[in-house]
Amino acid sequence: MFQDFLAYTVLGICLGSIYAIAATGLVVTYSTSGVFNVAHGSVATMSALIYWQLRFDWDVQPLVALVLTVCVFAPLIGLILETVVIRGLRGTSEVTRLVTPIAVLLGVNGAATWIWFRNDQRSVVPKRFFGLSNVKILGQAVYYHQLIGVALAVVIAAALYVLLFKTRAGVTMRATVDDRTLLMLNGGRPDRASLVSWAIGAGLAGLAGVLLSPVQGALQVFALTLLIFDAYPAAIAGRLRSVPLTYVGAMVLGLSKLYFDWMSEAGTRWLALKNLRIALPAVLLFVALLILPQDRLRGAIVSRTRERFHVPTMRQAVTWGGVLIVVVYMLQKLMSGSAVISLSNGMALSLLAISLVLLTGYAGEINLAIFTFAGIALIAAWQFDVGPGGLATQKSMSVGAILLAICVCAIVGGLIALPALRLRGLYLGLATFAFGIIVYQLVILQTQPLKGSLFGWDFTVNFFSTGSLTMPRPHWFGIDFTDQRNFLMLMTVMFALIGIGLIALRRSAYGRMIVAMKDSPAACATLGMNIKRLKLGVFMLSSGISGLGGLMWASQQRTLANNNGFDGFQSLTLFMIAVVGGIGYVSGALLAGIFLSVLSVVMPEVWDKLGHDYPSLHWLFVSVMGNFTKFVGPALIGIGLGKNPSGIAQQIMDGFRPLRKTPLAVGIWIVGLLWAWLFAWQDVIGKWTFASIVLLSAVLVPPIIKRVHAERFAEDERAIHGEDLDQIGLARPFRRSDRAVFDSHLGIVPPEQELEVGRASS
Amino acid sequence: MPLLDIRGMTMKFGGAAALTAVDVAAADGTITGLIGPNGAGKTTLFNCITGLLQPAAGVVLFDGEDVTGLAPFARTRRGVARTFQRLELFTSLTVRENVQVAGEIRNRWSRRDRRDARAECDRVLELLGIAHLAEREVTEIPTGMARRVEMGRALMTRPKILLLDEPASGQDEQETEEFGDLLVRLCEEGTAILLVEHDVSLVMKVCSYIQVLDFGRIIAAGTPTQIQTNQAVLEAYLGTDTTA
Repeated sequence: MFQDFLAYTVLGICLGSIYAIAATGLVVTYSTSGVFNVAHGSVATMSALIYWQLRFDWDVQPLVALVLTVCVFAPLIGLILETVVIRGLRGTSEVTRLVTPIAVLLGVNGAATWIWFRNDQRSVVPKRFFGLSNVKILGQAVYYHQLIGVALAVVIAAALYVLLFKTRAGVTMRATVDDRTLLMLNGGRPDRASLVSWAIGAGLAGLAGVLLSPVQGALQVFALTLLIFDAYPAAIAGRLRSVPLTYVGAMVLGLSKLYFDWMSEAGTRWLALKNLRIALPAVLLFVALLILPQDRLRGAIVSRTRERFHVPTMRQAVTWGGVLIVVVYMLQKLMSGSAVISLSNGMALSLLAISLVLLTGYAGEINLAIFTFAGIALIAAWQFDVGPGGLATQKSMSVGAILLAICVCAIVGGLIALPALRLRGLYLGLATFAFGIIVYQLVILQTQPLKGSLFGWDFTVNFFSTGSLTMPRPHWFGIDFTDQRNFLMLMTVMFALIGIGLIALRRSAYGRMIVAMKDSPAACATLGMNIKRLKLGVFMLSSGISGLGGLMWASQQRTLANNNGFDGFQSLTLFMIAVVGGIGYVSGALLAGIFLSVLSVVMPEVWDKLGHDYPSLHWLFVSVMGNFTKFVGPALIGIGLGKNPSGIAQQIMDGFRPLRKTPLAVGIWIVGLLWAWLFAWQDVIGKWTFASIVLLSAVLVPPIIKRVHAERFAEDERAIHGEDLDQIGLARPFRRSDRAVFDSHLGIVPPEQELEVGRASS
Repeated sequence: MPLLDIRGMTMKFGGAAALTAVDVAAADGTITGLIGPNGAGKTTLFNCITGLLQPAAGVVLFDGEDVTGLAPFARTRRGVARTFQRLELFTSLTVRENVQVAGEIRNRWSRRDRRDARAECDRVLELLGIAHLAEREVTEIPTGMARRVEMGRALMTRPKILLLDEPASGQDEQETEEFGDLLVRLCEEGTAILLVEHDVSLVMKVCSYIQVLDFGRIIAAGTPTQIQTNQAVLEAYLGTDTTA
């Protein structure tokens, strides 16, 4: 017994050492740049694959391969990320600073999958350093590979201490995140310090990736990324700042995993808890986030951000809701069956994403487990409508099932929010992500039914006991929604109604309070607001909406397997795309769902078709463009967020808003489109021709209208004289004509005038 | 008994003591000044009074009740309101909405009360001379006006005492003059004011009693005339003449 304890302790310390290396990389990056690198795991994964490529595919010596990976390639990835992505995030909100690294994570993982695993059969199996050679410590055989991990962890701890506290570069790195401007005024170079910290952080991620990869057996991109995610609780234990506490956290983590293995006999002892072994780091992360002290209420210091969201009037909301229903109705008339399914998938995802408009767009809170709520909604509704009796007993989704799903999700959301109420921003995001993983491992992958008794009533709850659940479609008002077109219209009407409801809420006193809470919790508290109660209400409402959206999404899929998007990454993707679409707008949620569907389903199909139609360009359309769209496309959109943190919906509105000055021209354009639709409907023109007309006209017509009616828009250009110059580029996009106004205010003579003055005087 | 009575307030950040056994009092129906050089601990004291910081030691008595352990919102509901040295405006809302939302937080249950909040908001905007800015974004208006918005927001909570943290900074001479008159008027209408301000002439003009904070300790207290001639205050502001 005691011998077992010693043996598991030794192995726990070995595992903890590798976690310490991974977590320290996160701490170094965060404490010197203020950005929590969610993509840390993907950098580790990419590095592990590069090492594998060098070591096993190209037969490079182990030490050379390790040095090249950890000291060259991984830091290079860090440098590229810092230069191309992270610098663009200054002055953005916490949400944007969280989302962009999520996009990087998905992008790097997508690229890794594209490079190494586009052929599904490929198996990449890393091996330990020195193979199976081992040494006995306290009676336990310990691989040299594990000892190397322990030794490197000690060396890295010492080196980091010296770097951060004993060198000028280290002081500069720490000062960068405290006060960047002050550092520059004192002659420091924060950009360089940030570069160094990202290179070191990525190097440590790379080392952790190489050391951890043999644990997994055959390498899998997202599984290895999650393995590195296991180290996050250690970084949180160090409050993302303290390296020694991070090491303590890593050891607790490593030992906890091994002791659980010991007690549960590797998961065979308690079947219902067998996945707790995998979920344990997420449980520890959740607990660490809840029990560790947090910063006090945030004030305006981080709230002056570049994001700006306009609030539509109720009239506009109702009008656009109606327009959406009409447009979707007209479009589905032209669409093939498969295209309607794609649009329906998009609308279902939009219904899920719209809950984030309330939670994140209005209230500034984060939920990275949106698909978890979909899973919970599905389980609840399935128990109510289908249950053990099977589909034969229930042909239609009932209103009772929907209400139950909404209520269960709202209660679960409240239960999560209750302990997490004091968390915010990044910490709340991580807590919800951890919650998502816990539910995924312990509930959604649960094959054991839950049996219990309540007030004498014996009940049995089956989770995904057979590995998948099938939810019937509704059959209401005599309309059969198993028809895909009808179901699309049902979801569209639901989306429009929820959207109008959300805008009404945003315009109400409650909405103003929610937004005020986002802008300055400190001010709200001193105005008498019980922030915790408001936050709880918002969380419950948003979770209820995501329950409804999730149920519709599940019903759209018809049969949903328990491994279908519940592992956390799909939640990250939807959250990222919703922020990119414009998290403060209902239209942003619509765009998010449609984008995701288009990028993951429609575009690959389009490239496949093009590749099929033009065989000579098959390599371009399918191998390059198809894979690019599939693996890297969504991530690239997210990475660009730093440039336009208010989202794409805002950009589109900004582009079309001036056209209100020319109602006649816009009317003619719309009538033209209606005629084109009529011709397409009557098969006078092809569907693709109609699509091309719509897309081309959306690009070309607005500039043409602006050019033809230049005199009406000239007034806009002149309006700048009455504007607050500080707000140009924030309140509205920068125009070329603004430069002249800035020049005149600053007393700068434009170069061309300067030349003329010079000629005249000579 | 003073309306607000701070006793033995001590606040530490790590090893550094921001406040050490500070006693401060503000009487009902008066304007009390709290002055001191930068870093003296004035804003920290405000944060302790309003509950944004929990002090290491000391009590906050408000209207005879010990409110030290109460959450910030509970203190506000008892009648403590404040403005901030670094503006804490709701940047997503307009000037009117910034002020109105404070009334809506107070009257959060009844629809009729919320309607009243809008009418009260109009009165406050008028009182503060910012009615013409009502529909502007708060990020667009000058700092001096933004400070008035914060003050209007605090007034909407119907406070018994108003803690103002450098409310005149960003205002020109004439605006400061008008602002002083406004403070006196509010005081006459029954709102006590605890004023932190660097514009010493404003403090001397409107305050009936002044307390001086330096390095986290009260070094002097008295009427404006007494403070103007207090040696410890002069040294704190002007330094000691080492050549003497």
